[in-house]
Amino acid sequence: MEVLLKAEDLYKSYKMGPTKVKVLKGANLTVKKGEFAAIIGASGSGKSTLLHILGALDRPDKGIVKFNGQDLNRIPARDLNKFRNKKVGFVFQFYHLLDELNVLENVYLPVMAGTSIPGWFLCRKWAKNRAKELLEQLGLSERAKHKPYQLSGGERQRVAIGRALMNEPVLLLADEPTGNLDSATGNSILEVLESLNKAGQTIVMVTHDERIAKRAGRIVKIIDGEIKGA
Amino acid sequence: MYKITLALKYFLKRKISYFAVLAVTLCVFIVVIVMTVMNGIVGDFKQNNYKVTGDCVVGTSSLVGFAYYEDFIKILEQQKEIAFVAPVIKSFALIRPKGTNTDEALEILGIDPNSYSEATEFGNTLFYNRSSVSDIFKVRSDPNLVGCVPGHSVLKISQTGYSDRTRISRYAYSISCFPLTAKGAPADAGTSMVRTKTFYVNDISRSGLPRIDGSIIYLPFDQVQKLCGMDGPTKRISRIHIKFQPEVKLRKGCEIVRSLWEEYSLQKQTETQAFLLGTVTVQNWKEFRRDSIAPMENEEAELIVMFGFVGLTTVFIVLVVFYMIISHKSKDIGILKSVGASKKDMIELFSIFAFFVGLLSSVIGLFAGWLFLLNINRIEDWLYKKYEFQLWDRAIYAIGDIPNRVNFTILLIIAAAAILACLVGAFFPSWQAARKHPAEILQVNQL
Ligand SMILES: Nc1ncnc2c1ncn2[C@@H]1O[C@H](COP(=O)(O)OP(=O)(O)OP(=O)(O)O)[C@@H](O)[C@H]1O
Ligand SMILES: [Mg+2]
Repeated sequence: MEVLLKAEDLYKSYKMGPTKVKVLKGANLTVKKGEFAAIIGASGSGKSTLLHILGALDRPDKGIVKFNGQDLNRIPARDLNKFRNKKVGFVFQFYHLLDELNVLENVYLPVMAGTSIPGWFLCRKWAKNRAKELLEQLGLSERAKHKPYQLSGGERQRVAIGRALMNEPVLLLADEPTGNLDSATGNSILEVLESLNKAGQTIVMVTHDERIAKRAGRIVKIIDGEIKGA
Repeated sequence: MYKITLALKYFLKRKISYFAVLAVTLCVFIVVIVMTVMNGIVGDFKQNNYKVTGDCVVGTSSLVGFAYYEDFIKILEQQKEIAFVAPVIKSFALIRPKGTNTDEALEILGIDPNSYSEATEFGNTLFYNRSSVSDIFKVRSDPNLVGCVPGHSVLKISQTGYSDRTRISRYAYSISCFPLTAKGAPADAGTSMVRTKTFYVNDISRSGLPRIDGSIIYLPFDQVQKLCGMDGPTKRISRIHIKFQPEVKLRKGCEIVRSLWEEYSLQKQTETQAFLLGTVTVQNWKEFRRDSIAPMENEEAELIVMFGFVGLTTVFIVLVVFYMIISHKSKDIGILKSVGASKKDMIELFSIFAFFVGLLSSVIGLFAGWLFLLNINRIEDWLYKKYEFQLWDRAIYAIGDIPNRVNFTILLIIAAAAILACLVGAFFPSWQAARKHPAEILQVNQL
């Protein structure tokens, strides 16, 4: 299978006062198209950090991330925004929906964020329809006009997945998508991800739970800032 | 597009933005009122100065005056740009109200009532003879007596006393002048030094300018000329007031008069009293009344500076409010950036928000200010009756009613300034927030 993502020798550290916390110490990872990979590791092992770097939400101190053969370091900041908008979808543990927008608006937010005002008026109809379709797929048709605070955790996470899928990203990055949910609800979210993967969606998921990781096609471990892959 | 939608939603859903609106509204409200009133006061004041001056003045500040004015007046009257011309004599005199022993030094102005009230708006400042200006010096009870017109605060009686015309005609002044020769020497040296005559109050002038109303007595032109020793074979006056035709621009008109005067004074170079012509200047009304207008303009400038500070306060209020709003919204910034929004987008988002705050505040503030101004005189009357509190001291500002004509240019400027203040106040916090790394924001939120 074709390689979608290749991370080579990633280093990342954070300054915590006088000390420097080294989080990633030469992490390597390859993700192929259509794969469902789970990154597993202890709390604080740098899973989120790695995921953010893979999705160009953060830059590594050293090392290269190649996306479809393109070095993310070489993309200027302005185009990185476009990259995040079009190529990747993020799902976070705490859903991270915008409280002021309703469910439907939250789902089509990436289209609005990626278009100018005239551009938005041209594709508005399409975007709303696509958002409605996604909500239907995710079983949230009835909830389109609701505000995030009116939804349960599982429902919110499904809205977040809808948002991540809105621009048909090549890569879906999920950071402990079930971390805040009970196991039954978490299960339903995993089922959604599984079915997406079956339909060809490449997914990288971060978790600290072995049982959840097993649902993915492939498990990589992050230990001491390095990937000990399987 | 989401920026407008989201900005609008933040604006409507966050209570704190109403505080920002309230604060900015108050600033707008205050600025509108004070600027309108002050602008009105200054405008009225300038207008009053114009009214007592006419368009242009050819004259000297020397007490001796200048000669050969009659031919020059004839020349002026022939100009198609010039509507009216009035010769005036100004001097100082000792004034003793009839029945007292106290003298007061005041200004006397010798005028021909008809020409003077054509060249200036003197006629409109009168209490009784507005429609019959030529009669102001004619004492009705006795044609042999000569009338005078004091400024309303020279005649020290209350306004209610004016209504009784026979009562004011009981007031008279004995006016003493020190006549001077053309060289400035006492004209009557060796005899009595002063020339004295009694004038009977026949009308009262109120120009709205405290300095003029409190220090001038208007007298008949010929009488003053005699009193000051400016009569004789070569008559002298102090100045000529000129009113241009309505369509003539002030600058153009003054230029015409200036060149006429230059030419004329050259012609008269060989005359015996030609030396007096050198002291004569041609001034437009603003230059002529500069001593009186300049302090008022200074005050207006100070006021504008003061309200610059009000604007600065607005900026700070908005800054603080935006810091609070944005610190609550940093999660949203992280989210928006994770779906591809740029730094610029974030600044724009909060700028639009600030624009809404500024716009709504301006609209409310201007409207409230306008309502308040409509009723300002009623409100002030009420305050005065109830608490003896006066917003604008009448003695200082010389106004009857508080001016409340709304100047739409000023309103527009204030609205624009309020919106700008909001944008400036919002810029710094939104720029700071926009710089934040999304990964960090979302990370911190997870902890
Ligand atoms: N912005 C930051 N500033 C300082 N330290 C940070 C920052 N982000 C992460 N860290 C530190 O880096 C380490 C790794 O963080 P990271 O969030 O990647 O771990 P994680 O594996 O996702 O943990 P968890 O399972 O709890 O989510 C932690 O010790 C964390 O405190
Ligand atoms: Mg994490």
